[in-house]
Amino acid sequence: MLRRLMRLSQAGDKQAYAVLLDHVGKWLARFFRQKIMPDAIDDLVQDTLMSLHRKRASYDPARPFLPWLAAIARYRWVDRLRQGYRLQAESLDDHQPAEDSHEDVVAAQISIGRLLCLIPDAQAAAIRCSRIEGLSIAETCARTGQSEALVKVNIHRGLKKMALLVESE
Amino acid sequence: MKQAFELSALVDDLTPVRPLAIGPALAAVGLAFALAIAAIVMGRGLRADVLAGDLEAMFLIRAGLLLLLGTGCGWAVLRMASPAVGKYAQAWKMVVAAAALLPLTALVLLMGGRGDVAITHARDGVQCILFSGIAAFGTAIPMVAWLRRGAPTAPARAGWLTGVAAGGLGTFAYGLYCPFNDVVYIGCYYSLAVAICALAGRMIVPPLIRW
Repeated sequence: MLRRLMRLSQAGDKQAYAVLLDHVGKWLARFFRQKIMPDAIDDLVQDTLMSLHRKRASYDPARPFLPWLAAIARYRWVDRLRQGYRLQAESLDDHQPAEDSHEDVVAAQISIGRLLCLIPDAQAAAIRCSRIEGLSIAETCARTGQSEALVKVNIHRGLKKMALLVESE
Repeated sequence: MKQAFELSALVDDLTPVRPLAIGPALAAVGLAFALAIAAIVMGRGLRADVLAGDLEAMFLIRAGLLLLLGTGCGWAVLRMASPAVGKYAQAWKMVVAAAALLPLTALVLLMGGRGDVAITHARDGVQCILFSGIAAFGTAIPMVAWLRRGAPTAPARAGWLTGVAAGGLGTFAYGLYCPFNDVVYIGCYYSLAVAICALAGRMIVPPLIRW
């Protein structure tokens, strides 16, 4: 059904497009729930919908729709991880932990946890402290026993590796 | 709701689009490749055996491998403009493995002390790298332009592959002039040319195609 809706959308059918975006928005919210902190899901869904809109010509109607959508969603997710790191590196001390349901937080962490298992321990520890627990760089240093420079390098390298892991799936 | 507003704005903004068709991209890369060959032939000339129509075996093997490398990786690059999760356009891995036989063979022979031609003709080797690189640059342009139109979701890999593809096609073009048939020479300088193109692709292409 989504494939047909996308095909009609490419042809300019606004009604089909509205239905498609509604379905896709819900699908994306479920997709990202397993991959990112709950407070970031809405923004990421919107970003991905805008990407879908801008890049809709890149969908090949001869192929299934969901793999195309999933690839775009992953790309936006990885991009968000990178942006998040850059922002956090500048203003980590101002970070406010999200207030969300325990289930959502746990679900997001399970997926991130899988990726963290695939990168070196020192990088995973730096990312876990700074990105998931919301500690400052100084607190992360104290917790992990790494220097400030090493924490920053490990966060950067770890996120890069995680992004590559996502891209290579 | 912000999301509801965005959705209606996107719907209002909808205009018909034509799905990306790979044909024009293939034609553009083919044209750039033909121009690169023409530039090499006009600027440097053709090998004697090619002119005589009596081709050397090593020339055929080299040309075949480089053409496979260029077209196999080039095809993967063009397919990357349309994102998908799964095993699409993976043939480039086999092609790269096949082409790796050249540098591996050169390495084995070099270790056996049979690198005379490659060492004594280092100046020609540098020329090979330079002209192959120029030809590769020309063939990379339509690939990058195509990627920019599409939605590549693995920019780093797209960069590597663009470099390898352009390097393969560029070295093929230069190979039409290059008079050397020694496998160590080919394994060293042609491989180096492709490797430099790959590295350049990895460094230059990703920032150009991010979206």
